[in-house]
Amino acid sequence: MKTLADELFREFREHSVSEFFRKNAAMLGYTGKVRSLTTVVHEAVTNSLDACEEAGILPDIKVEIRRVDEDPEHLRVAVEDNGPGIPEKFIPSVFGKMLAGTKLHRLLQQRGQQGIGISGAVMFAQITSGKPALVRTSTGDGRVVEVEVSINVDRNEGEVHGKRVEEGGWKGTRVELELKEVVYQRSRYSPFHYLEMTSVANPHARITLEEPDGTKTVFERVVKEVPLPPEPMPLYPKGLMADDLLVLCRSSKSRTLAGALTGELSRMTKKKVEEVERLSGVRLDKKPQELTWEEAERIVKAFRQMKFMAPSSSGLRPIGREHIEKSLRRMYEPEFVSAVTREPKFYRGGIPFVVEVGMAYGGKAGRKEEGEGMEGMELLRFANRAPLIFDQGGCVITSALRSIDWGRYGLNPEASPLTVFVNFCSAYVPYTSAGKQSIAEEPEVYEELRFAVMDVARELRFYLCRKTRQKEKEQRAGIFEKFLPIIAQKASSLAGEEPPDIRPVLKKVTGLEPDGGE
Amino acid sequence: MEGSEGGSRKQRTLEKLGKLGKGVLQELREGRPPRLKVPSRGTSNIVYDEKHGYYVLGPRYEVRSASSMAQVKKFAQTLCVADFCRELVTKGKFATLREMYYTAEGWEPGPFRDQDESDLLVEDLEAMLGVKREDLALMPEEDGAAVFGDLTVREEGVTINALKAGRGGYTIPPTIDEVKFVKCGAKRVIAIETMGMYHRFVQEEAWKKFEALIVGLKGQAARATRRFLKRAREELGLPVYLFCDGDPFGYHIGMVIISGSAKLAYINHELAVPDAKYIGVTASDIIDYKLPTDKLRELDIARLKQLQKDPRYNTEFWQREIRKMLELGKKAEQQAFAKYGLEYVVREYLPAKLREVEGS
Repeated sequence: MKTLADELFREFREHSVSEFFRKNAAMLGYTGKVRSLTTVVHEAVTNSLDACEEAGILPDIKVEIRRVDEDPEHLRVAVEDNGPGIPEKFIPSVFGKMLAGTKLHRLLQQRGQQGIGISGAVMFAQITSGKPALVRTSTGDGRVVEVEVSINVDRNEGEVHGKRVEEGGWKGTRVELELKEVVYQRSRYSPFHYLEMTSVANPHARITLEEPDGTKTVFERVVKEVPLPPEPMPLYPKGLMADDLLVLCRSSKSRTLAGALTGELSRMTKKKVEEVERLSGVRLDKKPQELTWEEAERIVKAFRQMKFMAPSSSGLRPIGREHIEKSLRRMYEPEFVSAVTREPKFYRGGIPFVVEVGMAYGGKAGRKEEGEGMEGMELLRFANRAPLIFDQGGCVITSALRSIDWGRYGLNPEASPLTVFVNFCSAYVPYTSAGKQSIAEEPEVYEELRFAVMDVARELRFYLCRKTRQKEKEQRAGIFEKFLPIIAQKASSLAGEEPPDIRPVLKKVTGLEPDGGE
Repeated sequence: MEGSEGGSRKQRTLEKLGKLGKGVLQELREGRPPRLKVPSRGTSNIVYDEKHGYYVLGPRYEVRSASSMAQVKKFAQTLCVADFCRELVTKGKFATLREMYYTAEGWEPGPFRDQDESDLLVEDLEAMLGVKREDLALMPEEDGAAVFGDLTVREEGVTINALKAGRGGYTIPPTIDEVKFVKCGAKRVIAIETMGMYHRFVQEEAWKKFEALIVGLKGQAARATRRFLKRAREELGLPVYLFCDGDPFGYHIGMVIISGSAKLAYINHELAVPDAKYIGVTASDIIDYKLPTDKLRELDIARLKQLQKDPRYNTEFWQREIRKMLELGKKAEQQAFAKYGLEYVVREYLPAKLREVEGS
């Protein structure tokens, strides 16, 4: 006989994947009509950029957003890249399976991390419009494959239909999604702003946006080098959790636990293994798969007591000072630009990160919204080059910037035409939530952000001081050029004599420092 | 007696203005930013000159430099004012301060913020050159006092006798230095604070009785009046007597004629009449003539105490009269003499007073 619980549990299981998505839609970025659209664009563009980078291709990405019918909340989004393409057999899992992907269990600095990305977008399309995704891809082998992909929610699997194959020399991937319950507008949270920011942080990419009204905008590339793909970095013993260690050992191909530790973790020497064995009391000559939770906890505890060489940060791929400056210059045509890429630092005892800050002053920099009190500083936040445009208030970048005494640098956050660019690079970004829109308040990150901002602000202050001095000098010269001839003319009128040549005096006084008169 | 020195004054003023211009040109030719020395008119630089008996400016001065961003405009404006004055003096014209202020709208350095600003530059120029604004052909708005008596003057080619100018008398114009003293039959000047008493003196023919020029001050004496009294004293050799109300304000109206004001310290040598005599009404008069009185108000008492400490009042006569008035707690107006009949003041009081000061 079936119990009520059995009944309930059957229901629950049948709807698990879509239920999970629905329940966590907000957490995943699918909340609100504007944000949902931006999230879809973000997931697709992120995948394209990562794919191009791994393949060493200069990305050329086209985003088209069109209306399907009269309903303004019914849109079709297409994102196309010139990347390496997707082998046909991987199409269902890339687009149709949640929590799948190539990025899990690797410490690799990439834009996306969790494997919900594009399949989440497909899922969103499916539950709002009921339409499958249209995927067209080619690896450059002369075959262009076009299929419809939908997600089988029961089995958490992608299903393909209507496959068509064409001959063609094209290479790349195009995905088209039909969405409802979305709205297109040009606000701070819109795809337009998102792509503009993406272009700033990815100066090697050309991004084209076609908006529903037909407006076409090209964010041209300013750098012709593809960033080196990030290198996978082995995990660092400090900062590991018991669960991390268990997952690692379960999939290890080593014969012994000791071998697994040296093979999978960085900075583990034979001597260190002996030290772990001594401190934890766990026998390390058994199979890694036999590690128990309790033993894993003891090993992690031992790690924390031990000293290791600083972790490697060689796999991190910051944008670089020069590229940030070039990019900001192109986007904002400012009168002043400066940027810094700081040396790698570590948080939580061993996770390497790099902070980059750039500032653009004057020109089109600063907040651009219309209206009273809307001018002043604009903050652009990025994590591994991906724009963070939501949840600005809860982000460590925002709080670090708020703590700066801007007045000391001759700046006023409410009035200065200033755009501050901040990129946080790490193989593991400590997001506050799965929405991946704000970075958690890690003390080391907070401090490092402050230092980086102050570095650049100092440069800006020098510039502003020079500018003020120059302006004062010009003003000063103007004043003397106006009044000295009057003095000469009136004096000669009083004396009844010819006016003298005042150029020597004029030269003398205008060359003086301000207030050096008497 | 060709009393006016108008022509030579004019010459002197033009020379001084020329010298100012030459000094600036000299520095410009030598490649140095020109500088102006402006005597400081702050209270700390106003000192009482015991010898002359009036306030003068001390030795401190401010330097206005054409190399200072803050001062170069003011420098240019100062020269504009100077050149404006040169033009007026040359053409023999006059302008009021207000007219100059409006004229400055069209000057190259741009208009003044307000009239105070342009007035201050005029004071600067007066202090720098040591000449009065009247000499710079800038006149005060107000007319001077009225004069009645045997004085013949020539003003703008017109000869006027102050006996034949009607009951109101001859009005001292702001441009008094332009006026020539042609002939004078009077032996003394009696300056009177209130116009009521002035008219009494005219009605009682006091000018004839005392062989005097009767001057009606209309309260605090205008610059032109003070200049008239100074010229009467110096050019006509007449002693000057002052007859004011018997209160602290009357005392001070007299004293400003005698010793000049602190505010005009830079020009007192042209205005003060140090040997003018205050004949009344004194506190002693109030007692001696048993005059009807008013009680001193708090303001009067405070003012008397101020005068007590003022260096200009540092004489036996003034200290006594101030003390007496404070002890008495009373004050009296000039017209209080009417208690004894309208003619009393001319018939009895003044002759007695004149005997006292002239000793005859």
